[in-house]
Amino acid sequence: MSGIIFSEVTRTFKRDKGGDYVALQPISLQIPDGEFVAIVGPSGCGKTTLLRMVAGLDSPSSGALTVGGREVSGPGPDRAVVFQQFALLPWKTVRENIGFGLKCRGMRAAAIRPLVDHYLTMMQLEAHADAYPHQLSGGMQQRVAIARSFILEPSVLLMDEPFGALDAQTRIEMQEELVKLTKAKPRTVLFITHSVEEATYLADRVVVMAGRPGSILEIVDVASLRRSESWNDRAVEEVMELESFTRIRTRLWRLLRTVDRSADGRKTPQLSIAS
Amino acid sequence: MSDGASETGRRSVGLTALSVLSVSGFLGIWFAVAQSGLLPKMVLPSPWDVVTAFQHSLYTPFAGATMSQHLVASLGRFLSGFLLAVALGVPTGLLMGWFAPFRYAIAPFFETFRFIAPLAWVPFAALWFGTGIGGPILIVFSGSFAAAVINTFQGARMTDPRLIEACRTLGASPWRLIIDVLLPSATPSIIAGVRIAAALGWQSLIGAELIVASSGVGYLIVQGQGSVETPIVMAGMATIGVVGLLIDWALRLVELSVTRNWRGA
Amino acid sequence: MNPDRSERPKALMIGGVCVAVVLLGWWVSSLSTDAMRMPSPQAVIEAAQQLATTGYAGGTLLTHVIYSMKLALFGFLVASGSAVVIGLAMGVSRTVEALIGPIIAFIRPIPPLAWIPLAIIWFGLGDGAKIFVIWFTAFVPTLINTYTGVRTIDPTLIAAARVHGAGTRRLLLDVYLPGAAPMIFAGLRVSLQASWMALVAAELIGAFYGLGRVLMTAAQDIFPAMILVAMLAVAASGALMTLVLVQIERLSLPWLRRPR
Repeated sequence: MSGIIFSEVTRTFKRDKGGDYVALQPISLQIPDGEFVAIVGPSGCGKTTLLRMVAGLDSPSSGALTVGGREVSGPGPDRAVVFQQFALLPWKTVRENIGFGLKCRGMRAAAIRPLVDHYLTMMQLEAHADAYPHQLSGGMQQRVAIARSFILEPSVLLMDEPFGALDAQTRIEMQEELVKLTKAKPRTVLFITHSVEEATYLADRVVVMAGRPGSILEIVDVASLRRSESWNDRAVEEVMELESFTRIRTRLWRLLRTVDRSADGRKTPQLSIAS
Repeated sequence: MSDGASETGRRSVGLTALSVLSVSGFLGIWFAVAQSGLLPKMVLPSPWDVVTAFQHSLYTPFAGATMSQHLVASLGRFLSGFLLAVALGVPTGLLMGWFAPFRYAIAPFFETFRFIAPLAWVPFAALWFGTGIGGPILIVFSGSFAAAVINTFQGARMTDPRLIEACRTLGASPWRLIIDVLLPSATPSIIAGVRIAAALGWQSLIGAELIVASSGVGYLIVQGQGSVETPIVMAGMATIGVVGLLIDWALRLVELSVTRNWRGA
Repeated sequence: MNPDRSERPKALMIGGVCVAVVLLGWWVSSLSTDAMRMPSPQAVIEAAQQLATTGYAGGTLLTHVIYSMKLALFGFLVASGSAVVIGLAMGVSRTVEALIGPIIAFIRPIPPLAWIPLAIIWFGLGDGAKIFVIWFTAFVPTLINTYTGVRTIDPTLIAAARVHGAGTRRLLLDVYLPGAAPMIFAGLRVSLQASWMALVAAELIGAFYGLGRVLMTAAQDIFPAMILVAMLAVAASGALMTLVLVQIERLSLPWLRRPR
């Protein structure tokens, strides 16, 4: 229903002064329905480009990209995006921001209101329902952004370093909340982050990318460990102390380091199960 | 800590006192020089003469009408030209900002006409409208139009593209994008442009009334100059200045009330 | 308003087509409308030739342009010179600002052109009145920009200079002036345009030579083609002077990063 399939997708940009810049070498990746995939990699490796293509804000130069079996033809509420800088409308209240997507759909104000109230409660924003974004902290603004996306019941959730602008404490709280939300209603998630810990804690699989031009270095499976050791039932601090967690995290770190020093060359994706 | 605070406090009190002193000193010197007869009365009337002249003009017609009647005539022309400039200029600026082909089409004309001083239109205004109301309105329009377009244009370009992308992913149609994203984000610039347009329009109006009018405050002071009635000239100048200020303050209030909520930092 | 590099050919094409269409429309409409109201393109070209060679209203195009420019530039230099000096003083010293500020605040709302009648009473119809009006017009923008420019200099820079033992004169020359220079030049550009407009306006009211005089004479003679020529000359001269100023600015501020 909402699986994402990349088939030999490339992206080339034209430089201002002439010539081409290859952002992505042929990428092939299959993300089944409901899977949480994190993408890590150095700056400029093309991970944001990948996300934008799924969102419909950009399109492949070659290759095919399908979501739920259909080709992507533009942005839409079925593939909600949460941005690092929140992108809330400054001239609308929290309530109006959350309900914006529903308004675009043509829903009447009376029908929108109870839905927005539900999400206000869920994200603990009731006290700020009529405040304006500039009056809220970063964490609260991101909650509004997430509520704005979730209220549309998207089948795919695209998150581009959503917690990057938050302080460390808020970040961890948001990670826990995200786990709760996706546990309640599993959906396909593409999550970009620089933080290896964050990727390990949240994802079923972590895709490590190499950069310039972008390609997939390796894919690390986390889901099996999460299930066997019941990470979801433990608090964040507990999980981070587990040996299995540390091993995966270190492995990801090592991969990222080799990326910085490696030469160009196609790297075939390898699925490895961290044992 | 309290020392530093009170010291800056004392300093600003001192500075305010200095300002007050400066203004009163200025008025005092003016008064003294006028009284002393150093300069003939027609060159430098005393402040009191100016005030009297102003009061006098409120009931006694000068150059064909009382001060209030002249003001009404001037304001009428100003508002017509200014509102027309805003009504045409803001949409033009928006369209130019949002649609490149439109911009490429209009830009050559706009850039050429923009540099023509509003008052340079006076001869054509005289030719086409005589001393009718059309003349000053044309000149006010040419003074205000460019400011309205340019500021609106810059506001239209300033929209954060990320906001547009975010709303597209939420399913916003182009129409909804215009109403809920593009227009609100351009509003501060539009209002700033309107304020500048008002100031330029008022100035152009006065200039036009110096040459091609038979009523209005500009006409009043030029008649005053003709009969060398310096007090009324100065009174007229002061009135022009005050009205200009009031117009600006009124627009500033509009600006504050519209953007108050979401201005933030 | 400038299109980016990749869009330039498209922009030129659309713009060019529109200009061509309008010019054509102008020519066609001039064939039918009253020659008194809308001059035809040929009439304009003839008028331009006449003005350039035999002259009109007492002189050729060159005479008038030079006369007007001389006056405007002189007034501009006097005004901007005094504005920069006073602006620096106001920016550096809060005392000076407190003294002079309120007076400026009172004078400012009065539109510069409103000073013309008073100037004529005081100086008669000669050049003196024009210089006076230009002075008022050009003074305020440069003044405000200068003292805002000084005030917005990073105080850390000033502190650093002081720590190194800079005296007042050195501070002025090496910190305040260069630091405020971009804003000063912005003010100068506004002042220049304002001076030019004020000069033309003053000439419209009363002058013996100058582009304003040409405009007024053409209006009285009901010579719309000449009016148009004079208007274009006004616009072109203004643009030329501004261009020169921008070049001077570019040469004096080599350390600034400029947008492409």
